[in-house]
Amino acid sequence: MSSSKDILLSESINDRGALHPINHMKDSIMDLLVSFGFEIINGPEIETEEFNFDMLNIKKSHPARQMHDTFYVENKSNLLRTHTSPVQIRGMLEKKPPLAFISGGKVYRKDDDATHLPMFHQVEGIYVDESVTFAQLKDLIYKIIYSLFGEDVELRFRPSYFPFTEPSAEVDILSKEGKWLEILGCGLVNPIVLENCNIDSDKYSGLAFGLGIERIAMLKHGVSDIREFYKSNLDFLSQFK
Amino acid sequence: MKIAYKHLVQNIEENPTIEELSNSLFQLGHEHEVNGVIFEMEFTPNRGDCLSVNGLLRDLSAFYNVNINQETYVDDIDDLLMDFENLSKDICPQISFLKIEIEKVPDSYNGVLDDYFSDLCLSKNNFFTDVSNYLSYESGQPTHCYDSNKINDKIIFQEVEEEYNFKTLLGKVVNLTEKNAVFMLNNQVINLAGVVGGESTACSSVTKTVLIECAFFQPESIIGKSVKYDIHSDAAHKFERRVDPECHDKVLRRFIKIVSDHATIKDMAFISHKYEDVSPFTIPVDVNKINKIIGINLSKDEYITHLLKLRFTVDNNLVKVPSFRGDVKTNNDLAEEVARIIGYNNILPLEIKIPNSKKKDDYEVEKKIRLFLLDKGFYEVINSPFVNLVSEGAITVDNPLDSNRGFLRTNIVNSLIDNLLYNERRQKDSIKLFEISDVYSLKNEIHKRRKLSIIASGRIGLNSQDFSKKINEKYLSNLFNEIFSGEQFNFQQISRDGLDTKLKSEIFSLEIEIKKLSYDFNNYKQFSASPKDYKKYKPISEFPSSYRDLSFLLEDPSKLDELIKNIEKCRPEFLKMSFMFDLYDNDKTGQTKAGFRFIFQSNNKTLTDKEIDVSINEIIKSSLEIKSVSIPGR
Repeated sequence: MSSSKDILLSESINDRGALHPINHMKDSIMDLLVSFGFEIINGPEIETEEFNFDMLNIKKSHPARQMHDTFYVENKSNLLRTHTSPVQIRGMLEKKPPLAFISGGKVYRKDDDATHLPMFHQVEGIYVDESVTFAQLKDLIYKIIYSLFGEDVELRFRPSYFPFTEPSAEVDILSKEGKWLEILGCGLVNPIVLENCNIDSDKYSGLAFGLGIERIAMLKHGVSDIREFYKSNLDFLSQFK
Repeated sequence: MKIAYKHLVQNIEENPTIEELSNSLFQLGHEHEVNGVIFEMEFTPNRGDCLSVNGLLRDLSAFYNVNINQETYVDDIDDLLMDFENLSKDICPQISFLKIEIEKVPDSYNGVLDDYFSDLCLSKNNFFTDVSNYLSYESGQPTHCYDSNKINDKIIFQEVEEEYNFKTLLGKVVNLTEKNAVFMLNNQVINLAGVVGGESTACSSVTKTVLIECAFFQPESIIGKSVKYDIHSDAAHKFERRVDPECHDKVLRRFIKIVSDHATIKDMAFISHKYEDVSPFTIPVDVNKINKIIGINLSKDEYITHLLKLRFTVDNNLVKVPSFRGDVKTNNDLAEEVARIIGYNNILPLEIKIPNSKKKDDYEVEKKIRLFLLDKGFYEVINSPFVNLVSEGAITVDNPLDSNRGFLRTNIVNSLIDNLLYNERRQKDSIKLFEISDVYSLKNEIHKRRKLSIIASGRIGLNSQDFSKKINEKYLSNLFNEIFSGEQFNFQQISRDGLDTKLKSEIFSLEIEIKKLSYDFNNYKQFSASPKDYKKYKPISEFPSSYRDLSFLLEDPSKLDELIKNIEKCRPEFLKMSFMFDLYDNDKTGQTKAGFRFIFQSNNKTLTDKEIDVSINEIIKSSLEIKSVSIPGR
């Protein structure tokens, strides 16, 4: 039998469920980027080689295209997207600049160990307009990192390589233990990619960035084994109410 | 790749410390770890030119005065007369051969060769192979050494499609299939080009006459071979990332010099085949474009000075790209070179303003559904799509991780059943899970459907209202009608027959395409906000839990709040969670009865009754100190 006191008491005992910590992290990042002006777009997880690789300037000979790195389906007619970048290609083909898209979701690579899984999550963003510069990209990245980790976090930019951006950079933050941790990849959109999407690269330039959600969630929640996220263990999930 | 600090710094005038050099390498984008006096380098795949001491020194020229003019053999060399035919010049547009005969194989090494093996703690092989390995480390150009006495006929380089059995110089037998670029002798493969040489023509510790092959192979013809045949070689790593096509003369003359430092050369001869002349790649000088890409204000002189440091040349207002930099093709590439020298961290951010876009409605709808289910005690899960069950329309994965993950799931609910059983085995008696995911199937073409799936079984909730009630279809219908008022849901009862469980509670599920749902969020005003903080995870125990129930009698019902606060505050050892499962007001006596469940679990052992008693007595003792609270029977 219940009483009117139950209403009061139920507030003191949290009987709610919980969002999955990976989706919660993804939502937080997407909401942040929407507040910066980005528009959310979605795309399929089963992609073509054309959108997943060719349009992104990833050459036929690139190691990522090999069977040991990418899951192919139905006699190589399609593949499981290895990043969320093809969604941006689809977006750029549909809309003319200025444009600012983000896409988030599952991506797949042929890995399986304590720090890598065959399925993981990314959020990627792209902004194409006249005269977008690397210095502006830095401003955006500072805003993202400060929002996620606080304004006292120390970060650094390192030159890196992605076929779809040039110049390319990776961004690390300094952990409390004094270790640099890689957080995201970014760069100016390679003009070849813009041209592939029928965007005049003499007139327009763009910036792009991508974050691995699991990596950030592991840091924020202190989870050391990525596999914990996908055991669906209520003892784990209930910690993130 | 391991590179010794000593091998770099001995060529740098400024004599930087290992920390200074490490910082410079990071600024240039060369990720590494410092292990004692060794740099463990990890280069990006576009920088094949840096896979050597000289390559790194070239890049470090951005900051230091470096000397990379190692001594080479400078005199004329006789022409080598050898029977060689290149049938795949597109794959190998440039190749050179050097034949050397020495009087005696040296017993020990000196100078740079000795340093290489001792500083990097490497095992020696045979003299010529050791020189070849060192030169690859110093110059970045792999060379292959054949025992010249084993070459008794014409060598043919070609891309073959036939199957061949090939025994590598490490003794591994490989069945070559599909297209492979190879060197053939007497119709046998003697070298898988750019990957590994063969045993039949390999040098040994007694080899005194060597034929050294120095080639440029198009990376596309080499990529994937080492993984395909499980042969990991330094040569393949370098050829896949492109070597310098213009370095053969210098590298082979350096080979002669190192050999001559160790042995008397009786005879030598050299030949180089260059099948095409390639002009240096050029890009017009356009400092405005560079400034526009980076967002800085560099003068033309400053720009050119930066490029010269990295061994680009400027002529007739054209930037000439050095032959070892096959990765530089556009102004964006040049902008990256300039940015690396300036330092990415030294480029000042410029404020960015992105025009506002509107949120996508689908995203907001899904979010509200998820928050609603959270409010109702459901936990969100994410499952892998890979399954071993062949169901109608399931998409086949061509290259699964293993045979148990050969298909993509066509429904979510089967994953949720596994999740439910997993949690039941962990003594959970109230399980409510949901997942929203794209699900793919094949019917003539690939179809994508975005689905919501739920599963629920056991107690409705862990609170005094719901503890004794079991999840059933009516409960779920009422719950879903709060936001999907116009829908008639067909909740499925899942039979436990065939499931690996002895439990009896009914299992209900629902799987529905989201776009087919009609919702009305106006009827539901209580959406919880998403959590604002990121809770720190506590490791999960794999040991069983135990529970104790206590029923408190309150003569004065107003003391209930105090009792609850005391229970929340009292955290004896091993208490994992507690909740009130029963509350009863006796109108006749004016008393209240409150039942609490306390769940105990250790992270490193199975608890004994005695250990649990100690903890529960702590709760009892502090609770009974509250005036008017008692435990009947105690």
